Amino acid sequence: MFNSISNNFGAGQITFKDYQAENYVVLNAKFSFDPTSAQYQACSQMEITVPDLTIDRSAIAGVFVRFIETRSFQWGDSVYDGGSVLKSWIKDKNTIVIEKQPWFDELGPLYIYILALYPQLNQSGNTIKGTKQRLTMTTEGNYLYFSSDTFVVIFDHWVFMHLQFSSCSYAYRDSPWEVTMEQLPEDITADVPVCGGGNQFHPECDGMAECHIENKILTLDRRVMGFFDTAHDPFAFAFLVREGESENNE
Amino acid sequence: MHKGLCSFLNLNFDLMIALPSIAFGGFSGSAKGVTARQVDGRSVLSVRAWPTGIATSAQVVRRASMSKITKSWKTLTDAQRLAWDHLAEHSAGESVFGQSAEISGLNLYIRLNVARTMAGEVILSDAPQNLVALPNVAYTGLWVTPKTIIIKGITHETGLKLVVKMSASQSPGVSSGWSKTVILSPGMEDDWGDADVTTLYLKTIGVKPVIGEKVFLEMYWLDPETGFVGLSTYDSKVCESQEDAEAEGYVPRTKFSMNDLRESEESHVSSFDVDFSTGAPVAEFSAMCLGHSNVASSEVYLDQQIPSDVLGTGMCLGRGCGADGKIIPQSYLVYMYNRSEGAEMTFAHRGGYYLKPTECFGSGIVY
Repeated sequence: MFNSISNNFGAGQITFKDYQAENYVVLNAKFSFDPTSAQYQACSQMEITVPDLTIDRSAIAGVFVRFIETRSFQWGDSVYDGGSVLKSWIKDKNTIVIEKQPWFDELGPLYIYILALYPQLNQSGNTIKGTKQRLTMTTEGNYLYFSSDTFVVIFDHWVFMHLQFSSCSYAYRDSPWEVTMEQLPEDITADVPVCGGGNQFHPECDGMAECHIENKILTLDRRVMGFFDTAHDPFAFAFLVREGESENNE
Repeated sequence: MHKGLCSFLNLNFDLMIALPSIAFGGFSGSAKGVTARQVDGRSVLSVRAWPTGIATSAQVVRRASMSKITKSWKTLTDAQRLAWDHLAEHSAGESVFGQSAEISGLNLYIRLNVARTMAGEVILSDAPQNLVALPNVAYTGLWVTPKTIIIKGITHETGLKLVVKMSASQSPGVSSGWSKTVILSPGMEDDWGDADVTTLYLKTIGVKPVIGEKVFLEMYWLDPETGFVGLSTYDSKVCESQEDAEAEGYVPRTKFSMNDLRESEESHVSSFDVDFSTGAPVAEFSAMCLGHSNVASSEVYLDQQIPSDVLGTGMCLGRGCGADGKIIPQSYLVYMYNRSEGAEMTFAHRGGYYLKPTECFGSGIVY
């Protein structure tokens, strides 16, 4: 774990969970910033200055940007949170870069989720294949369903996870959800964006929720109105650092 | 005119003649393509220099650009011209221009701005504050086969661009063919230590190198900010078969791009790069998937097989790119398998709202 030194877009100090190998790094962080700030307005790309990383540049990785929006109606409040995926890379040993997209500048504060593996290219070896493990997702009452593309690939120091929500019993559509992820290691704690779900006020990006994972339990309370709209297939995509191993970086 | 600049312009000065001053004392000026001038008390006649050979389209563009730059010198203020003159007085060092010679402010202005415009930068009116010393190009090897022309193991220099000049293949007995080189790349960035100039070579030279013949290489770093260039590095290599190159030590990078698509089948991508050279548990994906036949997937047909150690399934992020600039997040599975000839990758939409085209990108797990 380490803290950022500074940034050029007006965010506060950012705390990273990390696994740093010789030729790639896995970083986890969540932070917010104000897109109306003078610093953000002045920068052409977001740059975070950090202590020395093990690699001095990387290829592109994907990170997430999310905004929160609640609209009030006669029948109550409705959620129209949204966001998208941004490109990110390591520019040098001390700089993480995130591309700037103007779509969401009016919708601050904005939240960035870094749950990414930053690789290097032209290394001495080829891609090392992992082993896919289907995730068994169980709920009390069996009210929530996931597609067969819900799986993890587990490594000693980190885990890749892909979740794809399928459907929910109508009786639980507006309830908080709690799901046990049987194959997920216990040593993962993270806030993970859930992309997708229809968003009638922001069709430019679709919906985006946030789930919390801790001790093999996924909780998801706040969901966009059209979470299960046909063909909007909510999903999560994350490289997650295992906390029990984070002190054992190579 | 400065000799280095003449070389840069590909001009011919072979007809320069020195004559006894007794015959042409005090004579100077130009007439009918002949110029006379006094040098150290002697009269020198020279025939007007003309470009040699048939100009490539790149050379034509460059000469037009140089003409524009030369004319723009007159638009500078006196102070700006003076600053260029001052900089030129200190610019004779080898580390700055790759050759030792004095240079005028005008010539320095032209040289830096020609280099800048080649790299896509605008003309610089104000002289750079300081001289910039650039490193030599450090690399581990040049490989030339009819299929691949690549410079390997280049030490990356942040902010600099690589200028690569190569010749058509020459007889193996030719020992110095660097005068035959033409610019393949006016300023490229190394691709993680590689400069694969195969496509640029074919586009510029027009024909593949011939096995058994020699290809000449000149390359140097260019600072696009200031226009300064580093010392040239020269190399040559006899073209060999891909098999011989690999036996000799050339290790092809496990990477597939648009150059590797089968021409006989229609792939559903407008750009495509999948790189397995990470040495890590991910591949790097980059593809603009166009979709087809109302199916939420895009097929890519490769003209060669995928190494067995990376065959399998990948997963990457994508974002649908609407005509109005929408950026809708999606996830994609990438099925990778070999066929009897070549291989196929299928980018199959999974999560998120499907919108095409989709830009798939970033590091993705492979299992």
